[in-house]
Amino acid sequence: MIVGGCDIGSTTGKAVIMKDGEIIASTIIPSTTKPEETARMAMDEALKQADLSSIDDLDYIVGTGYGRLKVQFAKENISEISCHARGAHWMSPTVRTVVDIGGQDCKVMSISDEGKVVEFVMNDRCAAGTGRFFEGMARVLHCGLDGISSLENQGAEPSTITSQCSVFAESEVVTLINEGSDLKNIIAGINNSVSGRLNSMVRKVGLVEDVALTGGCAKNAGLAKALEKHLKVSVKQLPHDPQIAGAVGAALIAVEKAAG
Amino acid sequence: METNIKSKTLDEFKTITGTMINPAVQEWKDNGGKVIGYFCCNIPDEVMTAAGILPLRLRGTGSTGTELSDAFYSSINCSFPRHVFNMALNHEFDILDGLIVPNSCDHIRRIYDNWLRQLDIGFLEMFNLPRKVEEPQVQWYKDEVHLLVEKLEKQFGVEITEEKLKNAIKLHNENRRLLKQIYELRKVDNPPITGGQMIAVIVAGTAIPRDKYNEMLKELLEDLKGAEGIKDHRARLMVLGGILDDPEYMDILEDQGGLVVTDSICFGTRLFWTEVSEEGDPYEAIARYQIQQRPTCPRSYGDQPKRAQYLLDMIKEFKVDGVIGERLLFCDSWVVEHYMNDQDLKEAGVPFLKLDREYILSGKGQLRTRVQAFLEMLGGK
Repeated sequence: MIVGGCDIGSTTGKAVIMKDGEIIASTIIPSTTKPEETARMAMDEALKQADLSSIDDLDYIVGTGYGRLKVQFAKENISEISCHARGAHWMSPTVRTVVDIGGQDCKVMSISDEGKVVEFVMNDRCAAGTGRFFEGMARVLHCGLDGISSLENQGAEPSTITSQCSVFAESEVVTLINEGSDLKNIIAGINNSVSGRLNSMVRKVGLVEDVALTGGCAKNAGLAKALEKHLKVSVKQLPHDPQIAGAVGAALIAVEKAAG
Repeated sequence: METNIKSKTLDEFKTITGTMINPAVQEWKDNGGKVIGYFCCNIPDEVMTAAGILPLRLRGTGSTGTELSDAFYSSINCSFPRHVFNMALNHEFDILDGLIVPNSCDHIRRIYDNWLRQLDIGFLEMFNLPRKVEEPQVQWYKDEVHLLVEKLEKQFGVEITEEKLKNAIKLHNENRRLLKQIYELRKVDNPPITGGQMIAVIVAGTAIPRDKYNEMLKELLEDLKGAEGIKDHRARLMVLGGILDDPEYMDILEDQGGLVVTDSICFGTRLFWTEVSEEGDPYEAIARYQIQQRPTCPRSYGDQPKRAQYLLDMIKEFKVDGVIGERLLFCDSWVVEHYMNDQDLKEAGVPFLKLDREYILSGKGQLRTRVQAFLEMLGGK
């Protein structure tokens, strides 16, 4: 059986094609202002990668993410919360807590042995602790997202950044820069402040190991390191790209749907 | 969520709820009647009915911003009073002959202070509510009702006799009974009415003369009894929280396939689940109803276990699969209550989703994601 999962997020569009339980293609492209086109482009690229000539070769497609209603070729849409849980669980079956950090929000899911969501929390009306936040910080620090992520850049004495709002947090960082603070300490401070917020979200659903990070920001090594310090447990490394976890989850649900 | 119900009365309720000064209010005024605005479930609106005055519960329906009122509130004040007071500053409540404000919470209480300083109104009264729910507080509330009656009599040149008060209690009790009859119809597997429709019915009842409301409720009941039940829902939901008066918010909760079958909200069962005694001293009856007999909101002290039990009883009675707890941002009454509810519901094995919101609907995308994920969780997806 060949199925597809398409995750249209605020910042990137992801498509995954799975055949008999294995990923045979996966793509990540920047989101456009037309979610239906982002979906089409991501899926076309995945089809090419999988050597498939047409979307009709897929038995079932599930859409997810903010643009899930605009994935016109999907037969059904499922929330990204359920999909990330499923995807992370498939990638690593021992995972019980999933921290999904996307472009414009973050979510923490507590999941069952079967990868089903038991409880979840989602950040509210604030971009702090999301991809958008890190992009803003990278701009102010002229260091690029890699600069924020790099483990070498995590200063030993993280600066204190307390603002709950990403705009005000940016002002705090500008103040630190102007006070002559060490850039590495500021970077560590940024990852530290986001980890603190994620920690309290994790505590709300209850910390159960293993913990995994998904979403684009899961690739921020500095953040993962800071989060481990806050949670006092290590974060499980997923054997696949954590950014496609939502699309993988959607494809796995597509298998179930196709089977009826 | 789709219903097949065809009801002219239901459409009328929706129209009334969609605007603040509805045609019935205007008609009342045009015929020389007086209108008094008020807030919350804990004002004895029977007193106004007894005085021949129309009690109009104020909302911020139709408000598009808070640019005028924000000068008098801080950014950590609840959006409900900010929207309502903005409408007041915009002269959208000039039709009122008076206003009664309870000290339900500090945010609402400040509407009184701001109104007093910024606007002219013939009659502005602070209704001072106690916090505890014991005998001295029943007496306190009773004294407040006496005070209100005296002031209304003086201001409007009316006489509010005990007999008139008793008749008003009977009329308002009939409201309560009829609403409860509609809720009875929601207990079945295929209820005839959605949560979005129901909230429109309840809100309308706080904005039109109560005798007219009773007649409309009777018509609606007839329509509902003949209606086909809703079949396509995938879960039965209960909504728990504060000032929720917006059918569209309920519609979004239900668009994901969950059917709201009961609630404990300020425009919901807390208004009508119990009745005021029709025996004895009407002042005493109203006070006891408000302080001890009506399901309370978290502003009351000492009866949290009773509120928690009310929630659990509702879940059982209405076969609820999941509870959605909504809270206006910065509402300090509800925030801790929801954490207690969370614990109780975990013990009872009932999934619970907490949602923060602004008074005027915003952030629909995030709201849909949360509700959809919650329903997927209930369905075991």
